[in-house]
Amino acid sequence: MPTLLNAFLFAVLQAGGLSGPLQPDRPQPRTDSLKTRKLDEVVVTATRTERPMGALPMPVTVIGKQQIRQMGSLRLNDVLQEQTGLAIVTDHGQGVQIQGFAPEYTLILLDGEPLIGRTAGTLELNRLAVGNIRQIEIVKGPSSSLYGSEALAGVINIITDNAGGSGQKQANASVSARYGANRTSDLAADLGLRRGKIGVYAFANRYGSAGYDLSPETAGNTVSPFANYTFSGRVTADISSRLTLSVSGRSFSEKQENRYEATAGSVVVGPGMIADRNLNPVLTFRPNQHWKLTARFYGSYYRTETDLRYQNDGKAYDQSYFEQRFNRPEIQIDHYLNRKHVLTLGVGYNAESVVATRYTDRQRFSNRYAYAQYEWLPNRRWDIIVGGRFDNHSQYASQFSPKASARFELSPTIALRGSTGVGFKAPDFRQLYLNFDNSVVGYSVFGTHELVNSLARLQQLGQIAEVLTDPAQFSDIRAESSVAYNLGLTADLSAAYKLPVTFSVNLFRNDIRDLIETRAVALKTNGQSVFSYVNLNRVFTQGAEFDGSYRISAGSGMLRISAGYQFLLTGDKTVVGQIKRGEVYRRDPETLATQRVKPADYGGLYNRSKHMANVKLFYELPKQGLTVNLRGIYRGRYGFSDRNGNVILDAAPEYVPGYMLWNLSAGKTIKNVTVQAGIDNLFGQTNPQYIPNLAGRLWYTSLRWSVAAPAKN
Amino acid sequence: MKRIPLSLAVSLFSAIIFFSCSNDDNTPTVQPVQSQTIKNLAADPVTIDPQTGQPGAGTGKYTLFSLKDGKQIANSDSASNKWDIGFRGTTLIVNGGAIRSGQGGAYIHTGTFEELTSVPESVTFATDQSSSQLAITTGSGKGWYNYANTIVSPIPGKVLILKTGDGKYAKLEILSYYKDAPATPTATSESRYFTFRYVYQPDGSKKLN
Repeated sequence: MPTLLNAFLFAVLQAGGLSGPLQPDRPQPRTDSLKTRKLDEVVVTATRTERPMGALPMPVTVIGKQQIRQMGSLRLNDVLQEQTGLAIVTDHGQGVQIQGFAPEYTLILLDGEPLIGRTAGTLELNRLAVGNIRQIEIVKGPSSSLYGSEALAGVINIITDNAGGSGQKQANASVSARYGANRTSDLAADLGLRRGKIGVYAFANRYGSAGYDLSPETAGNTVSPFANYTFSGRVTADISSRLTLSVSGRSFSEKQENRYEATAGSVVVGPGMIADRNLNPVLTFRPNQHWKLTARFYGSYYRTETDLRYQNDGKAYDQSYFEQRFNRPEIQIDHYLNRKHVLTLGVGYNAESVVATRYTDRQRFSNRYAYAQYEWLPNRRWDIIVGGRFDNHSQYASQFSPKASARFELSPTIALRGSTGVGFKAPDFRQLYLNFDNSVVGYSVFGTHELVNSLARLQQLGQIAEVLTDPAQFSDIRAESSVAYNLGLTADLSAAYKLPVTFSVNLFRNDIRDLIETRAVALKTNGQSVFSYVNLNRVFTQGAEFDGSYRISAGSGMLRISAGYQFLLTGDKTVVGQIKRGEVYRRDPETLATQRVKPADYGGLYNRSKHMANVKLFYELPKQGLTVNLRGIYRGRYGFSDRNGNVILDAAPEYVPGYMLWNLSAGKTIKNVTVQAGIDNLFGQTNPQYIPNLAGRLWYTSLRWSVAAPAKN
Repeated sequence: MKRIPLSLAVSLFSAIIFFSCSNDDNTPTVQPVQSQTIKNLAADPVTIDPQTGQPGAGTGKYTLFSLKDGKQIANSDSASNKWDIGFRGTTLIVNGGAIRSGQGGAYIHTGTFEELTSVPESVTFATDQSSSQLAITTGSGKGWYNYANTIVSPIPGKVLILKTGDGKYAKLEILSYYKDAPATPTATSESRYFTFRYVYQPDGSKKLN
């Protein structure tokens, strides 16, 4: 039993600022199943309490530190792109697509608190270094019932390291350096110290690259040179046996030297700056084994600055800044009543503001919310969770997001799980307050709250040729919402059949309504349009996901083979109806001949691959300290843009062809030093026109020194 | 499944007729009305300032067109029934209604050009009542075109059923808004050049093929 207790204690301690000592009365998983499970698989994201991953009724993926290191990943997008059902898509940055949802529908959390600073809805995943990450938890399906807006498709929670992260040791440190193609370099160091009741963890990282140019025939770069710095840390203090304080902070800054062709023949140059800071004190109080009270504060700041000028005459092309602040106090109470009931209650308040070139004044948001969750474990085979959250927002209608989920252990081998819930995404600052005249092309975009006044202003200036839609219609914008269903099973053949095989299947369906889209409101005299935002479409995404892994000993080492696949169908419900009624046509762009679109021609929403798959081989020789891995990631063809006049995806030339990436990495550890080398995108797959973020073959090599020792006392 | 080969056959057939007929124009035989294709009809094009990349102001005048004659009509004849349809940018006008002199009108039909063999009985013709209330509705997705990613594309399957200035019937399909009908127009393609095809029925009947 000591191992089990240690394992659980360690895992719970590891779970970040939200946790503390073990609750003796907490429902624990059955001993036999925990023995085979790795420690790292305790997750906090799915229920906001520490739970063993295998026992959860919703689809959860956990990626541990060791795997991230072996993959040679540096940034969050490197890690996520190799996960089943996740696609990295580019829209004003690299974001993640989950279950067919665009990046703006996935909430990205850092130790349970939301990261801010999205551009056109995308949170640039490249901003996040992974060197200080203990594990990444991915929960698919809506978690709005716990986390509120944006958690429609899922939640990705980045759990960072703690002091004393190596369990028994009292001090640890590491330094690593990496260099690779495109003059990409990464330097990182971390330090963890624990002395009695105080723990300190610090991390520093510099990441830089000379960028690359996939289309040398045009001026400028595909990705311009940049360098960024991340500093983060946490101090934990056990004030008493019942009270724990944790304060964590992070600072990120990046500078990029842009140089690219803005319009044919005119190159723009200039710096782009990003700064991102956050602070997160957490106080945890455990008066007895039945209660846990957590008080958190989270403050975050994000700023970008761009000064782009034409290279030939130095005239301004884009001079702008954007500054966002987010503050949140929150209190959560967890009540553990014998081994069968867990009740979680939380209340909080979000205060957000943004000030930017493209906004009239400083704009403010506020949001009061409360959530409740009840978990019931009537016996060892059932786990039932119900919950809900109420959001009262200053700018749009209140939201209630309920959820229900259950897991049933059919046999020691197979468990069934199902969940349903409501998710929502609030209209963002841009959709409410943007006030943007594009001086280069000549169009204008106004948020719904700005539209009436701004349109009147343009009319007074005589810039409006024709008003197409009554601007008053845009003022009552609603949050986007979805209803989701996930149904699946997990299987572990090791106990009953002595087979080291695990697999899981998940079927999902999401019905999304009131999708916010841009729509032309008026025509300007210069031939361009005035756009605003409106709740327009009803779409669906549905599909199936499969994951499997098999572990065998090969030689004196261990080989783990895993594979994943996602089948995805998406569509706009209005379009589906129109095609069924024979009302949609297409025009061949070459012959100009018109023909009716058949239901089978419809390819659904753009940028979604029907098929995505991955296969991974991880081989380890523990005695020799050797690891080798090969990962293949396939993204099937996906729609890019309309080419036959009907706006929808319905013909082969409208797709970007599918592609496969192979990443190879090998490492050897001698005492405290690990040498690693690898090649990402082994076969140099590129597609400059449609996939500019695919850089081609990238080699790298790295050196890492780490040490852990008991502290002097 | 059967519709596409059929419509292809019809268009091929009409193309053959079109070409074969052009050889013997003088033979006065009873034959289906002919499909005409007009290319690059300028609809008040504007030049783009190379400095700013912004289009300049146009003349504001409509390009008036006679379907019977297959040619442009002078703006001095705007108050006559000589013209049937007018083009200015994405705005299309017809020669009928409170602000016009002719007997024209328009109906936006959904279907293919070939399958529309006659004016359906259910069709009611709209007319130009005022500059903001036109027979051919304006706006992206509301009339004959979609506007997305800075490109105006004629909506496939939208056929204009027209009543001409002198009360005859015709059908018209807009094929492109850009000069020389490029397969993939870009933001810098020269716009406001219409390519369209039409069938004009001179005998006053509603038969359109």
